[in-house]
Amino acid sequence: MIDMEYEIKVPVEPPTELKSYFIPIPPEYVEETYRSDDFLVLVGPQHPGSGHMRLIVRVHGDIIREVIPDPGYVHRCVEKVAENRLYIQNIPLVERPSIMDSANLNLGYVRVIEEALDIEVPERARYIRTILAELCRIGTHLYDAAILSVFMGHTTGFMYAFGVRELICEALVRMTGARFTCSFIIPGGVRRNVGSDVLRFIYDMTFEMEKRLKTFEKIFIKNPTVIARLKDVGVLTKEEAIKFGVVGPFLRASGVEYDVRKVEPYEVYDELDWDIPVSDDGDGYSRFLVRVNEISQSINIIRQCVRRIPGGRVISDQICEDGRSIRGHFFDSLANIVLPAGEYTTLTECARGTVVFTIVSDGESNVPYRFRMVTPGWLYLRGFMESLKGERLADLQAIYGSFGYFPPEADR
Amino acid sequence: MSLFEIFVSNMMNIPIIKPLIDYLMGVPVIRFIVALILWRPFFAIAIAPGLGALGLYLLWIVYFERKLTARVQWRVGPLEVCRPIRGLIQALADGIRFFFQEVIVHREAHRPYYVQLPILAFIPVLIPIMFIPAGNVVGIKSDYAIQLIVAFLALISITIVVIGWASNSRFAFVGSVREAFMYFAYEVPFVIAVISMIFLYGSGNPYVAVEKQTIPGVFLNPIAFIVYLIAMLMATSRLPFEIPEADQEIAFGPFVEYSGILFGLVMTLAYEKLYIMALLFTILFLGGWSGPYIWIIGDLSHVLWLLLKTVVTISIIVIVRSIYARYRLDQALKLGWSSMLGLSLVGLVLGVGVGWFV
Repeated sequence: MIDMEYEIKVPVEPPTELKSYFIPIPPEYVEETYRSDDFLVLVGPQHPGSGHMRLIVRVHGDIIREVIPDPGYVHRCVEKVAENRLYIQNIPLVERPSIMDSANLNLGYVRVIEEALDIEVPERARYIRTILAELCRIGTHLYDAAILSVFMGHTTGFMYAFGVRELICEALVRMTGARFTCSFIIPGGVRRNVGSDVLRFIYDMTFEMEKRLKTFEKIFIKNPTVIARLKDVGVLTKEEAIKFGVVGPFLRASGVEYDVRKVEPYEVYDELDWDIPVSDDGDGYSRFLVRVNEISQSINIIRQCVRRIPGGRVISDQICEDGRSIRGHFFDSLANIVLPAGEYTTLTECARGTVVFTIVSDGESNVPYRFRMVTPGWLYLRGFMESLKGERLADLQAIYGSFGYFPPEADR
Repeated sequence: MSLFEIFVSNMMNIPIIKPLIDYLMGVPVIRFIVALILWRPFFAIAIAPGLGALGLYLLWIVYFERKLTARVQWRVGPLEVCRPIRGLIQALADGIRFFFQEVIVHREAHRPYYVQLPILAFIPVLIPIMFIPAGNVVGIKSDYAIQLIVAFLALISITIVVIGWASNSRFAFVGSVREAFMYFAYEVPFVIAVISMIFLYGSGNPYVAVEKQTIPGVFLNPIAFIVYLIAMLMATSRLPFEIPEADQEIAFGPFVEYSGILFGLVMTLAYEKLYIMALLFTILFLGGWSGPYIWIIGDLSHVLWLLLKTVVTISIIVIVRSIYARYRLDQALKLGWSSMLGLSLVGLVLGVGVGWFV
């Protein structure tokens, strides 16, 4: 390709908004950019699709040279707020960053407390937790697929994905009583037992969902325009993906077979039979396809869980000695838990990747001394920015959607 | 010869309302108005297939597109505006809302051009209508009518580019540049496809074209048909090629700054262009106004068949919006300059070849 450069003698002044508004780049960078025949485009901070975030894009003609992210518009001080609340009051708080993926975040947080207190969770509760986590995983992947399709102007894909997601919401309503942010997982088990009729519904629902996903596949996943937009766009090689610390399905799309559920199994993942979907391309389409394949794996996991689920208690006898559920004495049992002094960390595989929860306890207060939560969005932001380099400006939305980047989750 | 005699000499022949017209022609002042309305050139331009039909078509297609998209997407679509007829007048309600909304002209805009261009853009829409005949209902008869329609259609894109320039906004600028790129990508194959049909019929006269279509033009030159269809999607920014107006990327492109009735005008521009192109499409490929002659409505029979074929064509075209995602600019340009250009040249050879026999 012949890359011809034409020098324009007309001096181009940087727009005033790049000086007058606060943007996290030095004025020298703006000057230097405009002197070198590039210019800066501000994408956002209005809602670009999934949350407030600004991207400062340095473009050379139509080609992106560099992207500087300006996150933090939806930073809600989750870590600081958590230091002033009881351990159980933090359960609804940690779900808020990513409401469609609430069960996974909830599970991650509760597992830190269980690890600190050495609580043994009953078998049935562990199965219910796995079902919840996988339902939320499917829901999040569908949500991201919907955002991806509307980024590419495919409104039918958007409506179909949300239509399929209604089934997940219905299942969550029947299990927990809420469409999302169910706060159902508590230290020692789950809040209530889940009846066999609800489990039956979830089992049947997976078949209905598979049927509807076939329609979605026909109209969106196998659509030639979608493939044309996503194929060979925003490529991250295996080495790059590892170097930039990409996590979750986006790491697996680059050919790294890493999944916390396999590496450090929690709940009942090691007893079940499932695969890690991996792709070697590392482009936008493979990032999307890996998540589509994960949906079918999640369906597989849910079916196995429903088939194998044993009877028995759903709350550990360390938390609640008599009775089958914690209803009625929830506050008495859990409000005053005090973690032994020390630092506790767990890794959990969230829908968008690995989430790290750390609690530092001083051993005498009933609130965390320090709480740390590193969400997958924050971890793969660097890889996302790197994959944009060298692509066209019109591809920014497609790559954004292929990463399913969710600012509220990243900013916490 | 007085003006009235000119009108009366070329009046529409509609048997079903003949008694009413005979009665009205006896009333002193009314007869001038009736004679003018039923004067064939005036009827063609002002009522059908001209302005009146265009207005009705706009109301229908905006509603139909939304409703069809909604049905594909497991939704209901517009319903609440006049529930007994399932929201049929939604587009009218939107139009009224646009009309009474404040028109904001921002400081950076080039004020005179910014305000007058949406209205000026109507001129290249209205001029081609003069040359489109529906049987013997025609504004201006010309041997070069098809060429003239294509020439005036080309002006619409230029008005869109100038609209983007007058808006003086970054998004509008990018949209204008994209529109200009797309314009060249579709215009060349489109013109070649039309030329191949002109070679096929041996004339640019729509009457000759329709007469020669004992077999519809679709079967005479299917390649030109495909090229024309894709060019129609590109020219009117329909979804696989909705590149100049991409909402998610450049927020409605050249029209980003418009509001109120001016937005209403620029928004319908693409639909009007689609109407003209579909009329030409019907004449070139679907046998124009030929169809069973309905005696009772006389001259309106031709108009009816032409409009029916056009509206059915457009109603089928709008479904692509709910099927495809948007291409990138370079992909669309590649399609336009390689596959479509090649196909249109094959169509040209085919058109010249078939032209020997037809």
